[in-house]
This record gives sequence, C-alpha cells and structure tokens, in this order.
Amino acid sequence: MHPNFDLSDCYTIQGKLALPYTYFAGSVGSIFLTTLRDRRKIMGIKCHTCGKVFVPPRQTCERCLEDIRDQWVELGDTGTLENFTVVRYADRHLPRRPPFVLGLIRLDGADTPLLHLVAGVVVDRVAEGLRVRAVFAAQPENTILGIDHFQPL
Amino acid sequence: MTIYFDVAVADIFATMPRRYRPEGAQGLQTTLGYDIRGEGRWKLTLAGDRMEIESTGDLSGCAAILCADGETFAGLTLGRIDPNEAMRAGKLQLEGDGEAFAATYRIFQKYSPPIPAIQPSQELLVLKKTISVHQRFATGPVFGKFLMGLKNRKILAIKCPSCGRLQSPPREACAICRVRNSEWVEIGPKGEMRMLEYCYYASPDPLTGETRETPYGAIGILLDGCRDEEVFWHLLRPDQLDKARRGIVLGDKVIHGSRLRPVWNETRTGSIDDILFFEIDEA
Amino acid sequence: MGYRKKNRHVGIVGIGTTKFSSHREEVNQPEMIHEAVRQALDDAGLAIDDIDCVLHGNMELFEMVHQPDLWHTLGSGALGRDALRLTTGGTTGGTLVGAADNLVASGMYDTVMAIGFEKLQEGHTTGGITNMADPLWARKLQSGALTDQAACKLIAEFGEERARRAAMTYRIIMDQHACKNPNSHRAFGLSWDQIDDLMKTSPPLIGDLRLIHMCSQSDGACAIIFAAEKKAKDITNWPVWIRDHITVHREETLNLCNNYYPTATTHRFAAAQLYARNGIADPLAYFDVFEMYDPSAWWGVDWLRDFFLLEGDAHLRLVEERQIAIDGRMPINPSGGVLAANPIGATAMVRVAEAAKQIRGNAGPHQIPKPVRHALASSFGGTMWTVLFMLEKELNWQGV
Repeated sequence: MHPNFDLSDCYTIQGKLALPYTYFAGSVGSIFLTTLRDRRKIMGIKCHTCGKVFVPPRQTCERCLEDIRDQWVELGDTGTLENFTVVRYADRHLPRRPPFVLGLIRLDGADTPLLHLVAGVVVDRVAEGLRVRAVFAAQPENTILGIDHFQPL
Repeated sequence: MTIYFDVAVADIFATMPRRYRPEGAQGLQTTLGYDIRGEGRWKLTLAGDRMEIESTGDLSGCAAILCADGETFAGLTLGRIDPNEAMRAGKLQLEGDGEAFAATYRIFQKYSPPIPAIQPSQELLVLKKTISVHQRFATGPVFGKFLMGLKNRKILAIKCPSCGRLQSPPREACAICRVRNSEWVEIGPKGEMRMLEYCYYASPDPLTGETRETPYGAIGILLDGCRDEEVFWHLLRPDQLDKARRGIVLGDKVIHGSRLRPVWNETRTGSIDDILFFEIDEA
Repeated sequence: MGYRKKNRHVGIVGIGTTKFSSHREEVNQPEMIHEAVRQALDDAGLAIDDIDCVLHGNMELFEMVHQPDLWHTLGSGALGRDALRLTTGGTTGGTLVGAADNLVASGMYDTVMAIGFEKLQEGHTTGGITNMADPLWARKLQSGALTDQAACKLIAEFGEERARRAAMTYRIIMDQHACKNPNSHRAFGLSWDQIDDLMKTSPPLIGDLRLIHMCSQSDGACAIIFAAEKKAKDITNWPVWIRDHITVHREETLNLCNNYYPTATTHRFAAAQLYARNGIADPLAYFDVFEMYDPSAWWGVDWLRDFFLLEGDAHLRLVEERQIAIDGRMPINPSGGVLAANPIGATAMVRVAEAAKQIRGNAGPHQIPKPVRHALASSFGGTMWTVLFMLEKELNWQGV
C-alpha cells in the first residue's frame, strides 16, 4: 500500500444484486420434465453413433455432435450410486436441511450419471455402489424435483 | 398455394376489403388487374368509396395490369423487395398506367401477415426466478476517503500529479498518464449542469432489485474548480427536470447550464446517498 | 503502438448464424448455440474434429449462468478440445474474432471456431448492463446502455430539426435493409412518410432517444470458423481474409467518473490507427461495405463521422443523401445492423459474419448490388470500447 493512503478510510458497504430471470427448458428438456411429472417415467436419449444413453436427455450428442433429439428411450427408476457427497452446512439456496446427501446416480441402462438427492438412509451408511430407486414427488413439479429423491432399494 | 415470406398471395387479396381506406382513394375510378404467376388473377375495381376485388381469369378492361411471380408480389407487398430492383430484374412488369399501382399504397392499409395459427404444440416449460445475491463492497482507502468526505459535507477530488486532471469520485491512478494520484483537493459543492439524462425508462436498481421511479434525471455537474470533462455524476431534483438547463461546449463556444447546489441528506453514512440530489442554486 | 505483422494470413472459412428473435422457448442455451455451430461446420464442410480450439463468449449477467461455456459443451463442440471463454461487454463478439485471428495468425492453432451468443429473453438486459458500473457510485445512476448523449451532441451541433431528421432517416434505411434480411428480429416495413409521426410518437426512453431509435433485445448465436492461409485455401474456394484488426478502449469513461461524451472517441482513434498502418488514405473510397455495431440510430449517425474520419457535416450528408443505403455509395449495414437484431454476445460477431458474406457474395436477399472486395466491420462495448476489422476478398495487400 502506498504510504500516502490512510487505511483508516477503508470500510465496507452492504450491497445486493437482484435481477429477474426466465429460463427455458427447451423442447427436449420439456418432454423429459413433463413425462417425469405426468407419467412418472424417466426418459433418456440414445446416440446411435456412439451408443451412449444420456439422462437427462440432450438434443445433441456432445461427443459425436449429432442431432439425437428424437431418439428417446424409456428407463426404469432404479440405478446405482456412483459417487456422492454429504452436505453439512445450511444455506438458503440448498434444497434440504443439513446433513443431506447429493449423489450421482447412474440409472440402469443409462451411460451418464444424474445428480440428485439420496434420502431414506443414515448419512454415514451411504456408500458407492448403493442400489437406489427414484421416489417421485407427491405434488406436480416442473423441475428435476419431479423426482423427490432416490432411496435405497 | 405457396407461402412466400410467411404469406399466402391469396390472403393479400382476401384482406383488401378490410384494409381499404376510401379517404386515400379520393374518388378514384379505375380497374386494376393482378396477374400473379402460379397463383391466379385478380381484378380490383375502385369506384369512389367502394371497392371490389374478385378472383377471375378475365383481366380485360383493366386500366393497368401488374404481372409478377408469387414471391415477388409477396415481397413487394411486405416491403421486402424493392419495386425498382424487381423491374430491373424483369421480375415485375406493369402494363398500362403503372402509376395507378403506386396509388394503391395510399388506398390500402399496409398488409401484415396473419399471426400463425397456434399449433397444438407441446408444453414448453419455463422457470422464473429473481436471483438475489447479498454483497459487501470494500471501499479501499481512496474511495473510502472520498465517501467520508461526503459524510462531512465535502466533495473531494483526487489530482493527477502529471496532467493535473481531477477525478471525483476518485481513483487510485490516472489511467491516461498511468501514474498514481496523490493530492486531494476539495471541489464544488456548487457547479454547472453539463449533462442531463432525462430518463423515462424504468430500469431496475440492481442494488435493490426495485424498479426506479421515473422520470428521473441523471446529471453531470461541472463542479467549481473542475474543467472540461471533469464532471460529477449524480441526480437532479425530480421536480426541476424541466427547469434546469444543460450547458454545452461546441468547439470554442460554451453555453452555460444552470447553476446547481447539492442537497445534503440529514443522516449521512458515507455513501452516494449522502447527497439526495442537486437542485437549481437560487435564493 | 506495439503493432506486429501476422506470422501468417487468417481466413474466414465457415459462417453460421441463427435466425434472431425475441423468443426461443423451444431451445435452451446450448441447443440454440448448436444451430449456429452446425451451420458453420456445414458451411466450411468440416467435422468438429477438424477444429483445434473453440472460443466462447457472452455476458454472464444477461442469463446469470456462471461459466456457461461448461454447460454449453452440449452444443458447442468444445468437449475435449482446447477452449477459451472471453467476455468484453458489447464487443464480446469482436473480441472473439480478434482472439481467433491472433490465435491462428500466431501459429498456435490452424483452425479455430468462435461462438458468440445471447438469450436475452432469459434475463434483464438493462439491469445486467447496469451491473457493470461501480457498485458504490454509478450503479445508482446508470440505466444500462440507454443514453441520449449522442443525440445531445448532434442536436447541439446541427439543430433539433436536422439532427432528429437525420437519426430517423438512418433508422428507416436500416429498417429497409432489415426487411431484406431473413434473419432479422425486427423489420417493421417503415415508410418515409412516417418520419414526422415517429419523431413525435415513439415512446421516449431517455431524452431524445426514443424506442424506435434503440436496438432490440434478441436471442441468437453466431459461429465463425477461422483457418490459417494454407488450410483455408484447402477448406474453401472463397476464404475471406482478415487483413487487420485493432482494439481500443477507454474504460474509465463510464465506469466511475467523468461521464461525459469524450472529445476523442475510441472509434476515431481506432480508425485512424488502422487506416494509417494499412495505408488507407480515403476509407470512404476504399471500403465497399461497412457493417457497423450501431446500438441506436443516434449513435449510428454520429459514429459515421468517427469511423470514416469525417469533418463538419459530411456524416450527416451521407445519411441525408441516403448514400448509406444498400445501393448507395457507402452501404452501411445491408443486414439491418444492430437495430435489426441484437443478441449482444453475438452481435459484434454478426457484423464480421455479414461483412464476410458480402465479400463472398452470398449474403442473400440483402447482398449489395455491386462487387464487394474490401469490407469494414466494427464492434462497440459499453465503456467506449472499439474493435475494428478490415476484411479482404483477395490476398493482395502485402507490401503496402
């Protein structure tokens, strides 16, 4: 710091950044979420070039860069926990009170893991390889929280 | 039937009766023919405040006939194709009194394409969210000293040791000379209005998320002791928006703006709000 | 200036632009981007594996997605490739092109794809721009990119009547161009007899800046593929060469203090430097087309003076005599310019894309009716930030 500056003049001011946003799921994303909501089915999309099944689905295979939007496949609601973390702090943007588990779940028949909540199990008992099943939300939900959480089989 | 520019040629003719403006026709009496290749032929009869458009194979008796393909005609109607260019390219031919067609632009309201029928489409989901993040901003020593000055009803500027220009609010460095500013001087607090943004548009104040009240005036004030572009940015008293004049510099000529003075906030905390606004300096 | 010549020439070999629109509910961000990427790859006849590096740019606060380039690999083709993200406000698209030019010219990469995008329907544009201002001072005062300083300046110099009429004349010429461009977001079909009416009835935004003068908020994306000379000639029969580009900025203008129309603009400074080092004595005579980043009709009129280094009222006369029209002496924005569509992170890049397509001769219905060999394209960012490009049809300027 330059000697001419007086640190006694330094202080902080409270501020805020608040703006409205509107996000569009798009055609593919909307089919995925409305099917989840209305039919309680988890849909994926398969790339016929590389053979990968993506959940959540996407319009383009980012590996082959091919349009795969119509190549829907229906998946079951069971899968395997591939990785997880235990959230142990509270914040207003978090979906649950701590402690809770965020897991990467690979549904049977899918090639990509889905990020979701794992509940119905003691936090310290959660382990990779755990077999889980989707529990659908009681109330209709237009987000990925149409699945309320995954719980052990 | 082909669609050009989202428009069916038949629709242009079908909407003519409701687009008719008799006041534009001014008693004009004539019959015009339209020969649109691949689409059909239409005959337009204008008689005083009445008009008639009929789809007919027979264009005999027309004072003038316009011949074009469907794309050219749709493009001309929408203003997407220039008539002179279309003539030059041989895509538009006029037989007889060609001027008569120019008059139709006055006689009919501009054609606008139909709003596409809403197809029974899928439900498209949308997520609306006001994202709000709390922040804490550090003033640093230079801005902090300036804001503390406001708290004490003083407007401070920092001076470049090289070019001598004043910056207020101040910065640590003069970005033009690339040297560290060092000397503080007090400026104003009165000055002359040099810039006025008379804002009607209600934009959100990102510091609060609240929509600003309009109209408001964001102003640049050349405070006493400053020169050229060294204006100070703040607000004008809302009820003086139409009263205060802004000064202008045009080459060597200076037209002076209204003299302004700050109105200080009773409770000052060391922030931009320590000055409520500037008002016209009169007794 | 520390200007160095390029190690090798850089050509534009593929161009993709989406249709611009106020709403794209049927696609999310990476899906919209992919439309431009796919078009650019197809235009160049390349596969994604032919691309060495992907550049990506927009403004975070417009969509409020942090590090959007990560999500956007679902459409950008950047997966497993070298990639950079750039953001410089309104100039983002120009900075992307400039960076691609540098990366290829330096020898770092042979083939680079740059992608600019914005989905402005998803956020609040003016609120987002206001956040660029200093939080302790100017955020309270600034209203995004809306300002009438150019109007004030023109009115002070040329009188209300002449200045207002020139701005509306400019606006209507741009609308006529926009009507020819199938990608336009806004094309009203304005006619000359509406000038007097619009000058009075269009809703005022700030001072003399009315809604009709201002650019839109659009959704859309643009992708351009660049290649080194040898590769460019292999890829396509009609590469468009980037002869030179310059970046000039003056960030203190609006950021914190001294918010006053600067006496020497970055546009004029950039133009003077660029022409001098390329031996362009008379830019009006040299260039066949100019795609200008014109956020409002007032700025459009005012900046003609700066970009062509004009004096007096020469810029006004260009407008009044309609010489800037598509068939005029100096066609400005045959695409309709920023007034026709403004997907901000893509906008400056669309200027380069449109100028390049004019040189290729395949701009579409808004192709200008005379041969185009030399094109100028500009970018503008909030705090008087300029990126200016010279594009050429032929590789014949060596030795200048």
